[in-house]
Amino acid sequence: MEEGRRGSIIDVFSTASAVGKTLIGINMAAELSSQGYDVCLADVDLQFGDICNYLHLMPERTIADAARAVKEAPESFDAREFLDVYRCDDISFSVLAAPIRLDEAYNIEATSVQNILQNLQFNFDFVVVDTTSAFSEINLMVMDMSTIITFLGIVDFIPTIKNMKIGCDTIRGLGYEDSKIRLVLNRSNSQTKIELGDVEKLLGDHFYHVLPNDFEAARDSIMTGVPLVHTRNTALAGAMRELVARYTNQAVEQVPEKRGGGVSSWLGRFFN
Amino acid sequence: MDYQVILIENNRVMLERLSTVIQRTKGFSLVARYQRAGDALGQGAVFKPHIILLDIDVGENRGLIHEFAEAFQNAAILCISNHWDSDGASEVVKAGAKGYLIKPFSSEELVDAVGTFGKSGMAFGSKSLAFFSPKGKSGKTTLIANLALSLAQKSGEPVGIIDADLQFGDMAVFFNLTPKSTIVEATRDIKFLSPITLNSYFVPVPEMENLRVLCGTRKPEYAELVNIQSFEEMVRMALSLYRYVLIDLPPGFNPISVAAAELATKTYMIAMMSGGFELVHMRRAIEIFKAWPDFKTRLGTILTRVSPCNSAERKRLESILEYPISAILPNEYILVSAAANKGRMAVDIQPNTELSININKLSDDIIGLQGMRW
Repeated sequence: MEEGRRGSIIDVFSTASAVGKTLIGINMAAELSSQGYDVCLADVDLQFGDICNYLHLMPERTIADAARAVKEAPESFDAREFLDVYRCDDISFSVLAAPIRLDEAYNIEATSVQNILQNLQFNFDFVVVDTTSAFSEINLMVMDMSTIITFLGIVDFIPTIKNMKIGCDTIRGLGYEDSKIRLVLNRSNSQTKIELGDVEKLLGDHFYHVLPNDFEAARDSIMTGVPLVHTRNTALAGAMRELVARYTNQAVEQVPEKRGGGVSSWLGRFFN
Repeated sequence: MDYQVILIENNRVMLERLSTVIQRTKGFSLVARYQRAGDALGQGAVFKPHIILLDIDVGENRGLIHEFAEAFQNAAILCISNHWDSDGASEVVKAGAKGYLIKPFSSEELVDAVGTFGKSGMAFGSKSLAFFSPKGKSGKTTLIANLALSLAQKSGEPVGIIDADLQFGDMAVFFNLTPKSTIVEATRDIKFLSPITLNSYFVPVPEMENLRVLCGTRKPEYAELVNIQSFEEMVRMALSLYRYVLIDLPPGFNPISVAAAELATKTYMIAMMSGGFELVHMRRAIEIFKAWPDFKTRLGTILTRVSPCNSAERKRLESILEYPISAILPNEYILVSAAANKGRMAVDIQPNTELSININKLSDDIIGLQGMRW
């Protein structure tokens, strides 16, 4: 493997589905690229990845082709041959697409994904990885390799919060530095009566960043295939840019205190 | 009056041992015992037995079950064997036996067996229903919980839910249950279980005596402990206990979801309408199921949060999917989440909503399905 500088991997993970992982991954990639970084967005939701659907890309080569190539000739493998490019004004980033066929997706091995991501690290400043919502072999491997794990949560109803809690505890159990795991709340389209503060107490941690509820803007972005951060005027776009700025150390960090203490009883009883 | 029991057991030592258990069990009287089934057939009638325990480890005894059922029309025949064998159990039930008990059994197991099989017998013509979704957040667990309740209420027959969404199963939360045992223990122990002992791994749903739930893992890492072969055996055994077995699965194609779909009488593919690419994903997933020669009958589809939830919209969605839709459910987010937060079910709290009506319709369709041999 080559010597030299290796870029950061930002893993976008959650234990609940449909919390906005893909949308946030796309916007991170877009924002990082508009700041001048070389960025690759990798779709590791192998079976039902949506990145190309959202960006209206029709990929000719996918991670399945890359996986075959890296297995056949690891020495000469160059991941750049398997990428597509997304462009929109000042935004431009590479995309490693999810497989087209489900049987290809089913048969990709974790070590192949690992080798592909390692190769991408040598060629990009940032590799943003979109994943599935499970502690699968591939996702655990991505977490190990990642510089930052963005653990995305949503305050929805009790089962979702239960899974967020379990996911949080499981990731902490993996023994990473606290600073590697960033808890981000997507307020999404939530119509819940559950208090944010209660959820933070339960998780024993503050949310590192909170994205505001802007369902309309998010839906428009999915429909048009244009990242939110491109249209600079929505609150959600602002909050996404802020998050990326914090990742790239351009914003002043405020270190929050650890949370603890009593959760209101009706929520707490599910977690005894 | 006590249950009058006739015991037929070829092995002399086992005969003594089981006789002692029966004699010591409150409410049971051993009225006669035989080593040979032929003797029981010829002589047993004078004792007017309620229960006949028949050793089927002797091969020819299996062939006599039908004669026993004819000769002792007021008795329940429970087969006893050293081991569980789902094909064999299916055959003995077809021949007229009511249940299956693993020997040696304890007093508790004997009482449980009579309690479980005594009235209706082992379930026969049972149906297993696997619920598959391409991606998460499909409304699957909500549907299964409500559908199971509806099936239990409408059919009056035993219904079991298996939460096989191994890492993030929510069934226990939905029903507000605190399980002592889960799918991890049930699959671990399956080699040593009989239907009677497996039943105790399923947690009863309060105030719904014919609905039980085998809960999911307590921690995501326990998912690895569930062996696929043991899971398959466990599902087959559950089919002898419950008329309907509903299996909740993790999203996507993975070893457990593939195994469950292969095994199930019917697989329902579910997605939630959320303005994304759910129909695209469903179409791709349906293509995979087309490998089954009988996919048209074995694969159903259900869409949740359909708005407007009417037949015109259903037709529109069917033309996009290029596949018939088994059911559409409206968006009842507030009702469903309020119910789930309380551990109650929407079909129970508000039976007249569109959601409840559509779920009840689906449960009528399922009751009308052809059952399978387990």
